Amino acid sequence: MEELIPSILFIGKGILITMQLLIGSLAIGITLGILASILKYKCIAISFINRIISILRGTPVILQLAFIYFLVPSLLGVKLGIVGAGVITFGLNSSAYIAEILRAGIESLPNGQFEAAKTLQIPVAYMWKDIILPQVLRNILPAMTGEVVSLLKDTALIATIGGMDIMRSAQTIAAEKFAYFMPLCIAGGYYYAFVLLIECLGKKLEQGGQHAKS
Amino acid sequence: MLKVNGVGKQFDNQKVLECVSFNVEKSNIMGLAGPSGSGKSTLLRCIQKLETIDGGAIDCDAKTGFMFQDFQLFPHMTVLENLIYAPNIQNKGKNQKKHAKELLQNLGILPKKDNYPGQLSGGQKQRVALARTLMMHPGLLLCDEPTSGLDVATTLDVVSLLESVKDMGITMLIASHDLDFLTKIADKIILLKEGCIICDVAPKSMNNPITYLKKYY
Repeated sequence: MEELIPSILFIGKGILITMQLLIGSLAIGITLGILASILKYKCIAISFINRIISILRGTPVILQLAFIYFLVPSLLGVKLGIVGAGVITFGLNSSAYIAEILRAGIESLPNGQFEAAKTLQIPVAYMWKDIILPQVLRNILPAMTGEVVSLLKDTALIATIGGMDIMRSAQTIAAEKFAYFMPLCIAGGYYYAFVLLIECLGKKLEQGGQHAKS
Repeated sequence: MLKVNGVGKQFDNQKVLECVSFNVEKSNIMGLAGPSGSGKSTLLRCIQKLETIDGGAIDCDAKTGFMFQDFQLFPHMTVLENLIYAPNIQNKGKNQKKHAKELLQNLGILPKKDNYPGQLSGGQKQRVALARTLMMHPGLLLCDEPTSGLDVATTLDVVSLLESVKDMGITMLIASHDLDFLTKIADKIILLKEGCIICDVAPKSMNNPITYLKKYY
Protein backbone atom coordinates (compact mmCIF):
# COMPACT_ATOMS: atom_id res chain seq x y z
CA MET A 1 0.00 0.00 0.00
CA GLU A 2 2.83 2.42 0.94
CA GLU A 3 4.30 1.94 -2.54
CA LEU A 4 1.07 3.22 -4.02
CA ILE A 5 0.88 6.51 -2.11
CA PRO A 6 3.44 8.40 -4.28
CA SER A 7 1.56 7.23 -7.41
CA ILE A 8 -1.81 8.27 -5.94
CA LEU A 9 -0.40 11.71 -5.06
CA PHE A 10 1.31 12.18 -8.44
CA ILE A 11 -1.81 11.22 -10.41
CA GLY A 12 -3.88 13.36 -8.01
CA LYS A 13 -1.93 16.44 -9.15
CA GLY A 14 -3.60 15.94 -12.51
CA ILE A 15 -6.95 16.76 -10.88
CA LEU A 16 -6.08 20.47 -11.08
CA ILE A 17 -5.76 20.34 -14.89
CA THR A 18 -8.85 18.13 -15.22
CA MET A 19 -10.89 20.55 -13.09
CA GLN A 20 -9.62 23.59 -15.02
CA LEU A 21 -10.69 21.88 -18.23
CA LEU A 22 -14.06 20.82 -16.83
CA ILE A 23 -15.02 24.16 -15.27
CA GLY A 24 -13.66 26.29 -18.13
CA SER A 25 -15.31 24.26 -20.86
CA LEU A 26 -18.56 24.02 -18.91
CA ALA A 27 -18.65 27.83 -18.63
CA ILE A 28 -18.11 28.17 -22.39
CA GLY A 29 -20.50 25.33 -23.16
CA ILE A 30 -23.37 26.69 -21.05
CA THR A 31 -22.92 30.29 -22.26
CA LEU A 32 -22.75 29.40 -25.95
CA GLY A 33 -25.38 26.69 -25.54
CA ILE A 34 -27.89 29.15 -24.03
CA LEU A 35 -27.10 31.73 -26.70
CA ALA A 36 -27.46 29.23 -29.55
CA SER A 37 -30.72 27.78 -28.20
CA ILE A 38 -32.30 31.24 -27.74
CA LEU A 39 -31.19 32.32 -31.24
CA LYS A 40 -32.58 29.08 -32.65
CA TYR A 41 -35.88 29.59 -30.82
CA LYS A 42 -36.10 33.13 -32.19
CA CYS A 43 -35.22 31.77 -35.68
CA ILE A 44 -32.11 33.98 -35.94
CA ALA A 45 -29.20 32.57 -37.99
CA ILE A 46 -30.85 29.19 -37.59
CA SER A 47 -29.23 27.39 -40.55
CA PHE A 48 -25.75 28.66 -39.58
CA ILE A 49 -26.19 27.53 -35.97
CA ASN A 50 -27.60 24.17 -37.07
CA ARG A 51 -24.60 23.61 -39.37
CA ILE A 52 -22.09 24.42 -36.61
CA ILE A 53 -23.91 22.14 -34.15
CA SER A 54 -24.01 19.39 -36.75
CA ILE A 55 -20.25 19.66 -37.40
CA LEU A 56 -19.38 19.76 -33.69
CA ARG A 57 -21.55 16.72 -32.98
CA GLY A 58 -20.60 14.90 -36.15
CA THR A 59 -16.80 14.89 -35.83
CA PRO A 60 -14.60 13.23 -33.16
CA VAL A 61 -13.61 15.41 -30.21
CA ILE A 62 -10.00 14.27 -30.61
CA LEU A 63 -10.01 15.65 -34.17
CA GLN A 64 -11.47 18.97 -32.97
CA LEU A 65 -8.81 19.14 -30.26
CA ALA A 66 -6.00 18.52 -32.75
CA PHE A 67 -7.53 21.08 -35.13
CA ILE A 68 -7.67 23.79 -32.48
CA TYR A 69 -4.30 22.98 -30.89
CA PHE A 70 -2.26 22.50 -34.07
CA LEU A 71 -4.05 24.47 -36.81
CA VAL A 72 -5.70 27.50 -35.16
CA PRO A 73 -2.38 28.98 -33.91
CA SER A 74 -0.86 28.78 -37.39
CA LEU A 75 -4.04 30.05 -39.09
CA LEU A 76 -4.80 32.92 -36.70
CA GLY A 77 -1.36 33.52 -35.25
CA VAL A 78 -2.46 33.08 -31.62
CA LYS A 79 -0.83 30.81 -29.09
CA LEU A 80 -3.40 28.91 -27.10
CA GLY A 81 -1.46 26.59 -24.82
CA ILE A 82 -2.56 23.07 -23.97
CA VAL A 83 -5.20 23.96 -21.37
CA GLY A 84 -6.50 26.88 -23.46
CA ALA A 85 -6.92 24.66 -26.52
CA GLY A 86 -8.62 22.03 -24.36
CA VAL A 87 -11.03 24.50 -22.76
CA ILE A 88 -12.00 25.94 -26.15
CA THR A 89 -12.39 22.53 -27.80
CA PHE A 90 -14.36 20.85 -25.03
CA GLY A 91 -16.38 24.05 -24.45
CA LEU A 92 -17.37 24.36 -28.13
CA ASN A 93 -18.17 20.65 -28.38
CA SER A 94 -20.20 20.73 -25.19
CA SER A 95 -22.07 23.86 -26.29
CA ALA A 96 -23.45 21.93 -29.28
CA TYR A 97 -24.89 19.24 -27.02
CA ILE A 98 -26.09 21.76 -24.39
CA ALA A 99 -27.81 23.83 -27.13
CA GLU A 100 -29.77 20.76 -28.23
CA ILE A 101 -30.65 19.81 -24.63
CA LEU A 102 -31.83 23.39 -24.01
CA ARG A 103 -33.80 23.49 -27.27
CA ALA A 104 -35.68 20.36 -26.19
CA GLY A 105 -36.22 21.93 -22.75
CA ILE A 106 -37.54 25.21 -24.20
CA GLU A 107 -39.87 23.37 -26.60
CA SER A 108 -41.23 21.27 -23.74
CA LEU A 109 -42.45 24.41 -21.92
CA PRO A 110 -46.08 25.36 -22.66
CA ASN A 111 -46.33 28.30 -25.05
CA GLY A 112 -48.65 29.87 -22.46
CA GLN A 113 -45.63 30.70 -20.28
CA PHE A 114 -44.27 32.96 -23.03
CA GLU A 115 -47.74 34.41 -23.58
CA ALA A 116 -48.30 34.99 -19.86
CA ALA A 117 -45.01 36.91 -19.72
CA LYS A 118 -46.12 38.93 -22.75
CA THR A 119 -49.54 39.77 -21.31
CA LEU A 120 -47.86 40.90 -18.08
CA GLN A 121 -45.58 43.15 -20.18
CA ILE A 122 -42.43 41.50 -18.89
CA PRO A 123 -39.47 42.64 -21.03
CA VAL A 124 -38.00 39.89 -23.22
CA ALA A 125 -34.61 39.74 -21.45
CA TYR A 126 -36.30 39.37 -18.03
CA MET A 127 -38.68 36.78 -19.46
CA TRP A 128 -35.77 34.58 -20.53
CA LYS A 129 -33.71 35.20 -17.37
CA ASP A 130 -36.40 34.86 -14.73
CA ILE A 131 -39.32 32.97 -16.30
CA ILE A 132 -38.16 30.64 -19.07
CA LEU A 133 -34.57 29.59 -18.28
CA PRO A 134 -35.15 28.71 -14.58
CA GLN A 135 -37.96 26.34 -15.64
CA VAL A 136 -35.99 24.94 -18.56
CA LEU A 137 -32.87 24.35 -16.44
CA ARG A 138 -34.96 22.53 -13.85
CA ASN A 139 -36.49 20.31 -16.54
CA ILE A 140 -33.17 19.47 -18.21
CA LEU A 141 -31.18 18.79 -15.04
CA PRO A 142 -30.98 14.99 -15.60
CA ALA A 143 -29.77 15.49 -19.18
CA MET A 144 -27.33 18.20 -18.05
CA THR A 145 -25.89 15.91 -15.38
CA GLY A 146 -25.23 13.37 -18.12
CA GLU A 147 -23.57 16.04 -20.26
CA VAL A 148 -21.25 17.15 -17.41
CA VAL A 149 -20.25 13.50 -16.78
CA SER A 150 -19.59 13.06 -20.50
CA LEU A 151 -17.55 16.28 -20.57
CA LEU A 152 -15.47 15.15 -17.58
CA LYS A 153 -14.59 11.92 -19.38
CA ASP A 154 -13.83 13.80 -22.63
CA THR A 155 -11.25 15.96 -20.82
CA ALA A 156 -9.02 12.85 -20.66
CA LEU A 157 -8.34 13.46 -24.37
CA ILE A 158 -6.11 16.37 -23.36
CA ALA A 159 -3.48 13.67 -22.71
CA THR A 160 -3.13 13.29 -26.51
CA ILE A 161 -1.59 16.79 -26.78
CA GLY A 162 0.48 16.47 -23.60
CA GLY A 163 -1.79 17.98 -20.92
CA MET A 164 -0.82 16.63 -17.50
CA ASP A 165 -4.31 15.74 -16.35
CA ILE A 166 -5.31 12.64 -14.39
CA MET A 167 -5.01 10.38 -17.43
CA ARG A 168 -1.64 11.68 -18.63
CA SER A 169 -0.25 11.53 -15.08
CA ALA A 170 -1.30 7.88 -14.86
CA GLN A 171 0.34 7.15 -18.22
CA THR A 172 3.54 8.85 -17.05
CA ILE A 173 3.73 6.71 -13.89
CA ALA A 174 2.95 3.60 -15.94
CA ALA A 175 5.71 4.39 -18.44
CA GLU A 176 8.23 4.99 -15.65
CA LYS A 177 7.44 1.76 -13.82
CA PHE A 178 6.51 -0.40 -16.81
CA ALA A 179 3.33 -1.33 -14.90
CA TYR A 180 -0.04 -0.16 -16.22
CA PHE A 181 -2.53 -1.88 -13.95
CA MET A 182 -2.31 0.18 -10.73
CA PRO A 183 -1.83 3.67 -12.33
CA LEU A 184 -4.82 3.10 -14.60
CA CYS A 185 -6.90 1.79 -11.67
CA ILE A 186 -5.99 4.91 -9.65
CA ALA A 187 -6.93 7.21 -12.56
CA GLY A 188 -10.18 5.28 -13.04
CA GLY A 189 -10.88 5.65 -9.30
CA TYR A 190 -10.42 9.43 -9.48
CA TYR A 191 -12.69 9.76 -12.52
CA TYR A 192 -15.35 7.50 -11.04
CA ALA A 193 -15.30 9.43 -7.74
CA PHE A 194 -15.87 12.67 -9.63
CA VAL A 195 -18.68 11.12 -11.66
CA LEU A 196 -20.38 9.96 -8.44
CA LEU A 197 -19.95 13.46 -6.99
CA ILE A 198 -21.49 15.10 -10.11
CA GLU A 199 -24.42 12.64 -10.08
CA CYS A 200 -24.98 13.28 -6.38
CA LEU A 201 -24.98 17.07 -6.92
CA GLY A 202 -27.35 16.65 -9.87
CA LYS A 203 -29.79 14.61 -7.76
CA LYS A 204 -29.64 17.18 -4.95
CA LEU A 205 -30.45 19.99 -7.41
CA GLU A 206 -33.32 17.92 -8.89
CA GLN A 207 -34.75 17.34 -5.41
CA GLY A 208 -34.41 21.07 -4.65
CA GLY A 209 -36.63 21.89 -7.64
CA GLN A 210 -39.34 19.33 -6.86
CA HIS A 211 -41.60 21.74 -4.93
CA ALA A 212 -41.84 24.03 -7.92
CA LYS A 213 -43.32 21.44 -10.27
CA SER A 214 -46.71 22.47 -11.58
CA MET B 1 -64.42 50.86 -24.19
CA LEU B 2 -63.85 48.05 -26.70
CA LYS B 3 -64.90 48.22 -30.34
CA VAL B 4 -64.48 45.12 -32.46
CA ASN B 5 -65.24 45.94 -36.07
CA GLY B 6 -65.36 43.34 -38.86
CA VAL B 7 -62.57 41.20 -37.43
CA GLY B 8 -61.48 38.18 -39.46
CA LYS B 9 -58.85 35.57 -38.71
CA GLN B 10 -57.76 32.40 -40.42
CA PHE B 11 -55.19 29.71 -39.73
CA ASP B 12 -53.80 27.87 -42.78
CA ASN B 13 -56.76 28.74 -45.01
CA GLN B 14 -59.24 27.75 -42.32
CA LYS B 15 -61.45 30.67 -41.34
CA VAL B 16 -61.75 30.94 -37.55
CA LEU B 17 -63.37 34.38 -37.29
CA GLU B 18 -65.52 36.01 -39.98
CA CYS B 19 -66.45 39.65 -39.85
CA VAL B 20 -67.03 39.76 -36.07
CA SER B 21 -68.32 43.10 -34.79
CA PHE B 22 -69.50 44.15 -31.33
CA ASN B 23 -68.92 46.79 -28.66
CA VAL B 24 -68.32 46.43 -24.94
CA GLU B 25 -69.42 49.32 -22.73
CA LYS B 26 -67.46 50.44 -19.68
CA SER B 27 -68.10 48.51 -16.43
CA ASN B 28 -70.15 45.86 -18.23
CA ILE B 29 -69.62 42.13 -18.26
CA MET B 30 -69.90 40.74 -21.75
CA GLY B 31 -70.20 36.98 -22.19
CA LEU B 32 -68.85 35.21 -25.25
CA ALA B 33 -70.67 31.92 -25.67
CA GLY B 34 -70.39 29.20 -28.27
CA PRO B 35 -69.49 25.58 -28.78
CA SER B 36 -65.88 24.37 -28.77
CA GLY B 37 -64.03 25.57 -31.86
CA SER B 38 -66.38 28.49 -32.46
CA GLY B 39 -63.55 31.04 -32.20
CA LYS B 40 -64.13 32.39 -28.66
CA SER B 41 -60.55 31.96 -27.46
CA THR B 42 -59.10 33.18 -30.76
CA LEU B 43 -61.19 36.35 -30.51
CA LEU B 44 -59.93 37.02 -26.97
CA ARG B 45 -56.35 36.33 -28.07
CA CYS B 46 -56.78 38.77 -30.98
CA ILE B 47 -58.01 41.46 -28.58
CA GLN B 48 -55.02 40.81 -26.31
CA LYS B 49 -52.71 40.94 -29.39
CA LEU B 50 -51.51 37.40 -28.84
CA GLU B 51 -52.71 36.77 -32.41
CA THR B 52 -52.69 39.11 -35.36
CA ILE B 53 -55.95 39.80 -37.20
CA ASP B 54 -56.34 39.33 -40.94
CA GLY B 55 -59.06 41.96 -41.38
CA GLY B 56 -61.14 44.54 -39.54
CA ALA B 57 -60.11 46.58 -36.52
CA ILE B 58 -59.98 46.26 -32.74
CA ASP B 59 -60.09 49.51 -30.84
CA CYS B 60 -59.62 49.41 -27.08
CA ASP B 61 -59.10 52.52 -24.99
CA ALA B 62 -58.18 50.63 -21.80
CA LYS B 63 -55.30 48.50 -20.62
CA THR B 64 -56.16 44.82 -21.03
CA GLY B 65 -55.50 41.95 -18.65
CA PHE B 66 -55.74 38.32 -19.74
CA MET B 67 -56.67 35.27 -17.66
CA PHE B 68 -55.66 32.03 -19.35
CA GLN B 69 -57.84 28.95 -19.32
CA ASP B 70 -55.00 26.97 -17.74
CA PHE B 71 -53.90 29.92 -15.56
CA GLN B 72 -50.25 29.85 -16.73
CA LEU B 73 -48.88 30.75 -13.32
CA PHE B 74 -45.09 30.64 -13.10
CA PRO B 75 -44.49 27.28 -11.37
CA HIS B 76 -41.03 28.14 -9.97
CA MET B 77 -42.31 31.21 -8.13
CA THR B 78 -44.40 31.37 -4.98
CA VAL B 79 -47.90 32.84 -5.08
CA LEU B 80 -46.64 36.20 -3.80
CA GLU B 81 -43.72 36.23 -6.26
CA ASN B 82 -46.15 35.48 -9.11
CA LEU B 83 -48.10 38.59 -8.14
CA ILE B 84 -45.30 41.07 -7.60
CA TYR B 85 -42.78 39.99 -10.23
CA ALA B 86 -44.16 41.93 -13.22
CA PRO B 87 -45.08 45.15 -11.31
CA ASN B 88 -41.60 45.17 -9.70
CA ILE B 89 -39.89 44.81 -13.08
CA GLN B 90 -41.93 47.75 -14.34
CA ASN B 91 -41.13 49.83 -11.24
CA LYS B 92 -44.75 50.42 -10.39
CA GLY B 93 -43.91 51.65 -6.90
CA LYS B 94 -42.64 50.21 -3.65
CA ASN B 95 -45.92 49.05 -2.16
CA GLN B 96 -46.45 46.12 -4.49
CA LYS B 97 -46.03 43.52 -1.74
CA LYS B 98 -48.60 45.27 0.44
CA HIS B 99 -51.03 45.59 -2.48
CA ALA B 100 -50.51 41.92 -3.40
CA LYS B 101 -51.21 40.81 0.17
CA GLU B 102 -54.39 42.89 0.26
CA LEU B 103 -55.58 41.30 -2.98
CA LEU B 104 -54.78 37.81 -1.69
CA GLN B 105 -56.62 38.65 1.54
CA ASN B 106 -59.69 39.81 -0.42
CA LEU B 107 -59.60 36.64 -2.50
CA GLY B 108 -59.23 34.49 0.61
CA ILE B 109 -55.87 32.93 -0.24
CA LEU B 110 -53.43 34.98 1.83
CA PRO B 111 -52.37 31.88 3.85
CA LYS B 112 -51.14 30.38 0.56
CA LYS B 113 -48.84 33.30 -0.29
CA ASP B 114 -45.65 31.28 0.20
CA ASN B 115 -46.92 28.18 -1.59
CA TYR B 116 -45.96 27.22 -5.12
CA PRO B 117 -48.69 26.87 -7.79
CA GLY B 118 -48.13 23.10 -7.85
CA GLN B 119 -49.32 22.97 -4.23
CA LEU B 120 -52.67 24.69 -4.96
CA SER B 121 -56.09 23.41 -6.01
CA GLY B 122 -57.72 24.49 -9.30
CA GLY B 123 -59.89 27.08 -7.56
CA GLN B 124 -56.92 28.52 -5.67
CA LYS B 125 -54.88 28.74 -8.88
CA GLN B 126 -57.81 30.56 -10.48
CA ARG B 127 -57.75 33.15 -7.69
CA VAL B 128 -53.99 33.59 -7.93
CA ALA B 129 -54.27 34.06 -11.71
CA LEU B 130 -56.98 36.67 -11.15
CA ALA B 131 -54.93 38.45 -8.48
CA ARG B 132 -51.85 38.44 -10.73
CA THR B 133 -53.86 40.04 -13.54
CA LEU B 134 -55.43 42.62 -11.20
CA MET B 135 -51.96 43.64 -10.01
CA MET B 136 -51.48 45.16 -13.48
CA HIS B 137 -54.56 47.40 -12.98
CA PRO B 138 -56.39 46.44 -16.19
CA GLY B 139 -59.39 48.43 -17.40
CA LEU B 140 -60.63 45.49 -19.45
CA LEU B 141 -60.27 41.93 -18.15
CA LEU B 142 -60.35 39.14 -20.74
CA CYS B 143 -61.17 35.73 -19.21
CA ASP B 144 -60.79 32.55 -21.26
CA GLU B 145 -63.01 29.74 -19.90
CA PRO B 146 -62.66 30.76 -16.22
CA THR B 147 -64.80 27.83 -15.00
CA SER B 148 -63.20 25.13 -17.12
CA GLY B 149 -62.38 22.11 -14.96
CA LEU B 150 -63.93 23.58 -11.81
CA ASP B 151 -66.67 21.90 -9.75
CA VAL B 152 -70.11 23.48 -9.19
CA ALA B 153 -69.24 25.04 -5.82
CA THR B 154 -66.01 26.56 -7.14
CA THR B 155 -67.84 27.83 -10.24
CA LEU B 156 -70.23 29.72 -7.93
CA ASP B 157 -67.18 31.12 -6.14
CA VAL B 158 -65.87 32.35 -9.49
CA VAL B 159 -69.19 34.10 -10.15
CA SER B 160 -68.98 36.05 -6.89
CA LEU B 161 -65.29 36.66 -7.48
CA LEU B 162 -65.89 38.19 -10.90
CA GLU B 163 -68.81 40.21 -9.56
CA SER B 164 -66.45 41.72 -6.99
CA VAL B 165 -64.05 42.52 -9.85
CA LYS B 166 -66.92 44.29 -11.62
CA ASP B 167 -67.51 46.30 -8.44
CA MET B 168 -63.93 47.57 -8.80
CA GLY B 169 -65.09 49.19 -12.06
CA ILE B 170 -63.31 46.71 -14.30
CA THR B 171 -64.97 45.82 -17.59
CA MET B 172 -64.91 42.14 -18.51
CA LEU B 173 -65.17 40.00 -21.59
CA ILE B 174 -65.62 36.36 -20.61
CA ALA B 175 -65.42 33.45 -23.06
CA SER B 176 -67.13 30.30 -21.87
CA HIS B 177 -69.15 27.39 -23.21
CA ASP B 178 -70.89 27.18 -19.81
CA LEU B 179 -74.21 28.96 -20.48
CA ASP B 180 -75.40 28.52 -16.90
CA PHE B 181 -72.33 30.39 -15.64
CA LEU B 182 -72.54 33.11 -18.29
CA THR B 183 -76.22 33.86 -17.74
CA LYS B 184 -75.51 34.28 -14.01
CA ILE B 185 -72.78 36.83 -14.51
CA ALA B 186 -73.01 38.58 -17.89
CA ASP B 187 -74.92 41.77 -18.69
CA LYS B 188 -74.91 40.76 -22.32
CA ILE B 189 -74.03 37.53 -24.13
CA ILE B 190 -73.04 37.13 -27.74
CA LEU B 191 -73.10 33.70 -29.31
CA LEU B 192 -70.34 32.71 -31.69
CA LYS B 193 -70.68 29.78 -34.07
CA GLU B 194 -68.13 28.83 -36.70
CA GLY B 195 -66.49 32.22 -36.32
CA CYS B 196 -69.64 34.31 -36.79
CA ILE B 197 -71.90 36.08 -34.30
CA ILE B 198 -75.24 34.26 -34.42
CA CYS B 199 -77.18 36.27 -31.84
CA ASP B 200 -76.85 38.44 -28.77
CA VAL B 201 -79.01 38.54 -25.63
CA ALA B 202 -79.27 40.42 -22.37
CA PRO B 203 -79.83 37.43 -20.04
CA LYS B 204 -81.00 39.46 -17.04
CA SER B 205 -83.99 40.82 -19.01
CA MET B 206 -85.12 37.41 -20.28
CA ASN B 207 -87.07 34.59 -18.66
CA ASN B 208 -85.12 31.69 -19.99
CA PRO B 209 -81.96 32.82 -21.76
CA ILE B 210 -80.32 29.39 -21.69
CA THR B 211 -83.15 27.77 -23.67
CA TYR B 212 -83.06 30.66 -26.12
CA LEU B 213 -79.30 30.41 -26.63
CA LYS B 214 -79.35 26.61 -26.92
CA LYS B 215 -81.64 26.89 -29.95
CA TYR B 216 -78.71 28.39 -31.85
CA TYR B 217 -76.07 25.81 -30.73
